[in-house]
Amino acid sequence: MANISIRNVSKSYGALNVLRPFSLEIENGEFVVLVGPSGCGKSTMLKILAGLEPATEGQIFIGDREVTDLAPGDRDIAMVFQNYALYPHLTVRQNIGFGLKMRGTDKTEIDRRVDDAARILEVTPYLDRKPKDLSGGQRQRVALGRAIVRQPQAFLMDEPLSNLDAKLRVHMRAEIGALHKRIGVTTVYVTHDQVEAMTMADRVVIMQGGIIQQIAAPDELFNNPANLFVAGFIGSPGMNFLNADLRDGKLTAFGQEISLPRATTYQGPVVIGLRPEHLKLGEGPATFGTRPTLVESLGSEKYVYFDAEGARIADGEDGKSKGLIARVSHTGSLPRDQEIRLGFDPAQLYLFDAKTGERL
Amino acid sequence: MRRTFLQSLALYATVIFTLVIILFPVYWLIVTALSTTNELYRLPPTFWPTDPQWNIFAKVWAAKPILMWLWNSMLAAVGSVALSMLVSVSAGYALSRYSMRGGASMGLFVLTAKMLPATLLVIPLFSIFSSFGLIGSLWTLVLAHSTMIIPFATWMLKGYFDTIPKELEQAAMVDGCSPIGAMVRVVLPIATPGLAATALYAFVLSWADYAYARTFLVNSPDNWTANLGITTMQGEYVTYWNDISAASVFIALPIIAIYLFLERYLVGGLTAGAEK
Repeated sequence: MANISIRNVSKSYGALNVLRPFSLEIENGEFVVLVGPSGCGKSTMLKILAGLEPATEGQIFIGDREVTDLAPGDRDIAMVFQNYALYPHLTVRQNIGFGLKMRGTDKTEIDRRVDDAARILEVTPYLDRKPKDLSGGQRQRVALGRAIVRQPQAFLMDEPLSNLDAKLRVHMRAEIGALHKRIGVTTVYVTHDQVEAMTMADRVVIMQGGIIQQIAAPDELFNNPANLFVAGFIGSPGMNFLNADLRDGKLTAFGQEISLPRATTYQGPVVIGLRPEHLKLGEGPATFGTRPTLVESLGSEKYVYFDAEGARIADGEDGKSKGLIARVSHTGSLPRDQEIRLGFDPAQLYLFDAKTGERL
Repeated sequence: MRRTFLQSLALYATVIFTLVIILFPVYWLIVTALSTTNELYRLPPTFWPTDPQWNIFAKVWAAKPILMWLWNSMLAAVGSVALSMLVSVSAGYALSRYSMRGGASMGLFVLTAKMLPATLLVIPLFSIFSSFGLIGSLWTLVLAHSTMIIPFATWMLKGYFDTIPKELEQAAMVDGCSPIGAMVRVVLPIATPGLAATALYAFVLSWADYAYARTFLVNSPDNWTANLGITTMQGEYVTYWNDISAASVFIALPIIAIYLFLERYLVGGLTAGAEK
């Protein structure tokens, strides 16, 4: 086990910068998740960390050892791949023991450690099978077994759950979390799924366009997003955004003037952010009327879609806006196109600079 | 979905029709071998000899050095397979895995060598081999056949390596293999069906060659390959087609045996289970 220090690592292919200078200190035993949309550079960073891609610039330390120019096998790390990358011609036992064998570990010691890892991951009955005879979840466990058996300094995981179906994904998410608690190895985990990031991480690194947007604990990210991108990326359904004008501490939105409880000196165009769960049916400190364009019922709660002047979609979304959305507790019927009242507390509004997207 | 009777009928009719076309020459070879000389020239032809000459095989085997010819063919083919596999595996792997300047066009350029007819290369190869004093040696065939095999084999193998996920090598490297180690320990075992298919292709190409053998070895009867040997059985005035056919059956047998041996490796699907 060791801490990991990534210092000003960047990656470019010719003129194309896929990773801007990236610095991150990871504590010993910490579970850090790199999250972001496709092409944000998160997998590239992981591959550089693993030694599978060379960094254009910068340094990487694992423990107090610089590994920047070391081969993957010399970094004392283990990696779990999205497609598992199990060796199809070897049995489960040989797959798990492969890394130990490559390091010249004694045969009886390999057997002992493979048996231990298999017991932890509950794959003992399949040790003599080939990967093709296993289910997706079992293959995932074997891939994890291959990682833990070596007792490496760090685990690197590249979207390890994205090939599993939804139910198994939730299950394996909990298993990986429990495994991390049990063996406490420093882990860097890459995903595009914000739910995985929020539920598993000690700290989350949100990336976009090869640039770190924010590094924070999950709750901190949710409560204090640094910019529009983070605010839109974290939370489901995503935060509502509206263009508005801020003058003398007052906003114009939802057809009314809203006084901000917080003092702000900023003047000019802003984007206001409002989480769907902060909208309530009925009166609030600020209230407006609207007609739902769509109501989705999840049983105990409903997603109410509606339009409002100045509504804008979050960056990084698919570009298809269903308008704004309120997530309300309501078990009765809520007909479409019938006027409803929605209330919210101006203290829960987020304000962003309309030009830079930074939080105000 | 269950097939209707008509669909089954059409399916089997197609298969049988194709088999008849493919197997007819083989059948005719055997019929010719077993017929007496008189019966061979009879019109209309008989489709099974009235008096099959089963002893023809023993007779031809005793009269001609068929075992030696087969042995020479085997040496040339095994040598060509070994040399061309060594080169094609390395080249195909490099083309599949490493991006290099002009890599794609280099790959295509390799194929242009395959587009030249063998007869075009015979003369320059003859001149090269004679300056090295190789004419008459089986090494000429190993080298000449490799020039035919390598371009296409490289492409076959590149295509096969492309289907093997890169993550397997990356996993092997994280597990402590060098890049070459990852190729040898992980990629090549998985590529066995592709290697077997390519090796079979190479073997058949070398085994079937006549033009190069005729040019480089004609004055060295001890190094004659089977194909070259058989053509010498054609007489100036009389040709005993039944003898030639019997010898041809002997030459076809090794290819059939090798195919049967390699067949289980040719079955694909070994990578099933590597990924989701």
